[in-house]
Amino acid sequence: MENTVVKIDSLVKRYGDLIALDHFSLEIKEGEIFGLLGPNGSGKTTTINCLLSLLAFDKGDIKIFGKEMTPTSYDIKKDIGVIMQNVAVFDELTVYENIDYFCGLYITDKAERKKCVDEAVRFVGLEDFLKFRPKKLSGGLLRRLNIACGIAHKPKLIILDEPTVAVDPQSRNKILEGIQELNARGATVIYTSHYMEEVEKICTRIAIMDKGKKIAEGTKDQLKRMIKNTETITVEVLGLTDEVISQIAGLPHIYDHSYDGSLLTVFCSGGKHNLIRVMEVLQKNDLSFGRVYTELPTLNDVFLEVTGKALRDKED
Amino acid sequence: MQVFKAFMKVMRTRLPSILPYVIVFMIISVMISTVGGDEERFTAEEMKICIFDEDDTPQSHALAEFIAKGNELVELENDDDVILDSLYYASVDMVLTIKDGYAERLAAGETEDLFTTKHIHDSYAIALMDQLLSEYVVTVDGYMAGGQDFDQAVESAIGTLSKETEVTLVTEDSTMSKSEYFEGFFRYLPYILISIMLNGLCPVLIVMNRKDLRYRTNCSSIKVSSVSVQTFLASAVFVGAIWLIFVVAGVILNGGLFVGTAWLAVLNCLIFAMISALIAMLLSSFNVSDNVVGVITQVISLGMSFLCGVFVPMEMLSSGVLSAARFLPAYWYVRANSMISGTEHFDGSKVLLYMGIELGFAAALAVITLLIRRMKYNRADSVNA
Ligand SMILES: Nc1ncnc2c1ncn2[C@@H]1O[C@H](COP(=O)(O)OP(=O)(O)O)[C@@H](O)[C@H]1O
Ligand SMILES: [Mg+2]
Repeated sequence: MENTVVKIDSLVKRYGDLIALDHFSLEIKEGEIFGLLGPNGSGKTTTINCLLSLLAFDKGDIKIFGKEMTPTSYDIKKDIGVIMQNVAVFDELTVYENIDYFCGLYITDKAERKKCVDEAVRFVGLEDFLKFRPKKLSGGLLRRLNIACGIAHKPKLIILDEPTVAVDPQSRNKILEGIQELNARGATVIYTSHYMEEVEKICTRIAIMDKGKKIAEGTKDQLKRMIKNTETITVEVLGLTDEVISQIAGLPHIYDHSYDGSLLTVFCSGGKHNLIRVMEVLQKNDLSFGRVYTELPTLNDVFLEVTGKALRDKED
Repeated sequence: MQVFKAFMKVMRTRLPSILPYVIVFMIISVMISTVGGDEERFTAEEMKICIFDEDDTPQSHALAEFIAKGNELVELENDDDVILDSLYYASVDMVLTIKDGYAERLAAGETEDLFTTKHIHDSYAIALMDQLLSEYVVTVDGYMAGGQDFDQAVESAIGTLSKETEVTLVTEDSTMSKSEYFEGFFRYLPYILISIMLNGLCPVLIVMNRKDLRYRTNCSSIKVSSVSVQTFLASAVFVGAIWLIFVVAGVILNGGLFVGTAWLAVLNCLIFAMISALIAMLLSSFNVSDNVVGVITQVISLGMSFLCGVFVPMEMLSSGVLSAARFLPAYWYVRANSMISGTEHFDGSKVLLYMGIELGFAAALAVITLLIRRMKYNRADSVNA
């Protein structure tokens, strides 16, 4: 598993005055499901487009399978499968014709291609929709068609750019399972998303990016260990006085807190029994409280701590 | 050939929008050819004529013989019912009765009321036959007035009139100048070709040029040049097919293969089909919606057709319009076509010059299209343009 599949070195991409990628570097090993996590506009798609030589970039170096990637690197391209952020299929062709077309750009032998297309159809579960035009498919099915078009030729490296945007939960799970299955069959996967749950669920290694820069990288456990937050406690409680709040703030291992009149949030770093100690303070002051829960750190906390803002926008 | 095949499949979905143009044009052409083509039937085709020679003189025999030439003589019983039936069922087109005393009265200089003709179905051919008969008597009369005796005059008249018919036949066969539909058929084609290319080819090119699909194609192991070649090839096949349809239709409506310079009209038509395709390619460089394509198609096809004498003969257009029309390719197409079809005096070198100007328009369109595409793709920072 030590073979490097993708190596991006100090990539710089400008759109006019905007620096979309700022000395961005990445190394992806064979067999990984590599997650590229970042909010909208952080440069994920730009990274993918540069990686695929679809965009010219200003500086940097890109190697795939140990060879330099250029627009004419057809020997490299034949082993890559791409699923773009937007569904890119012919509205005029049927489901089957679409998959056959894109597969045929890689595999010219008819019999072999048919086998590949049939397999891809079964893989994404579109058997009942072969004669449908894309316009007749639901959002989830359309995404699956988009994926089938990208993987039918059995690529060694599969790149998926936000493949689950605007997909119902059921289809989303099917897609995530499918990606894991493809990886189990031997494909290296690059997966971009702004949904941290997805990335946490399937990715073996993750890079978090913001404003064209890589701000953290590692397995999800490594990433979470990088930050001081280990536990976040939330309590529904009314009428806390400043006195009580400062008592809680003074407890050990608590480094931050917030209260909005009904919801108390306490951030802890290390230590055990933090929740019990918070409860004790409330009981001592004869305060009755509603729901109480504690959360382990998420990638969102990682992002929050490194950038000072939440990963997911409210509207998502 | 994946790209080529996909192109054709996308084209298949466009057929419903171009078929009406082909069909309507065919119907109009058939109508033109059945109206305008009768003159040809008179000279080229036979009429079934029945002659009752009540005069029965050498002179009346000579006339009957003259009429019989190039026509089919039918024998009928001289009975009104039989005649009417035969005319009705078209087993005979015309019944000519040379009246008793024909020779005598003609010799005396009378030209009226020498025979009667009967027919039911009016046609141009019958009208011409009537005209030929009166011309015959007038000519005989004329020769006699010129000093010839009766028999000589009959001989001379037959000689002159047969020569005239022959001349008409010859000119028609070589340049088809009299074939009105021929000129009309090719004159209206620019409108049809532009409409078909803009409604059929342009949307397909826009699809094949969709940025997301192009990105995906560019990610694959197919060569960018191969994509271009296949797209071009598919476009060329489409243009060729449309051209062939109209050539074949023209041959069928013409009632036979084109002869001589008529093939220049076919070549002219191919050049204009290419120009139309290039206009479609230029338009497809801007990612316009189907509706916009529809509007632009109407503006270009109707505008160019009216300005350049496709719909209205050029003689009816003002000189201002015509001098503006010079900057449009359809103008030169129509000029070339008028010469080829004989509406204007035929001058081979001028026809070639006009076609050369059309090719110049084609080259200009191709260059502009390439420049625009290069500019657009550079702006998108794409290295794969
Ligand atoms: N073609 C373009 N021209 C100008 N700016 C662009 C273009 N594409 C993307 N950007 C900008 O570059 C930044 C990164 O965009 P993108 O790579 O699409 O982010 P992501 O995929 O992470 O949402 C954004 O600020 C975006 O507005
Ligand atoms: Mg994106």
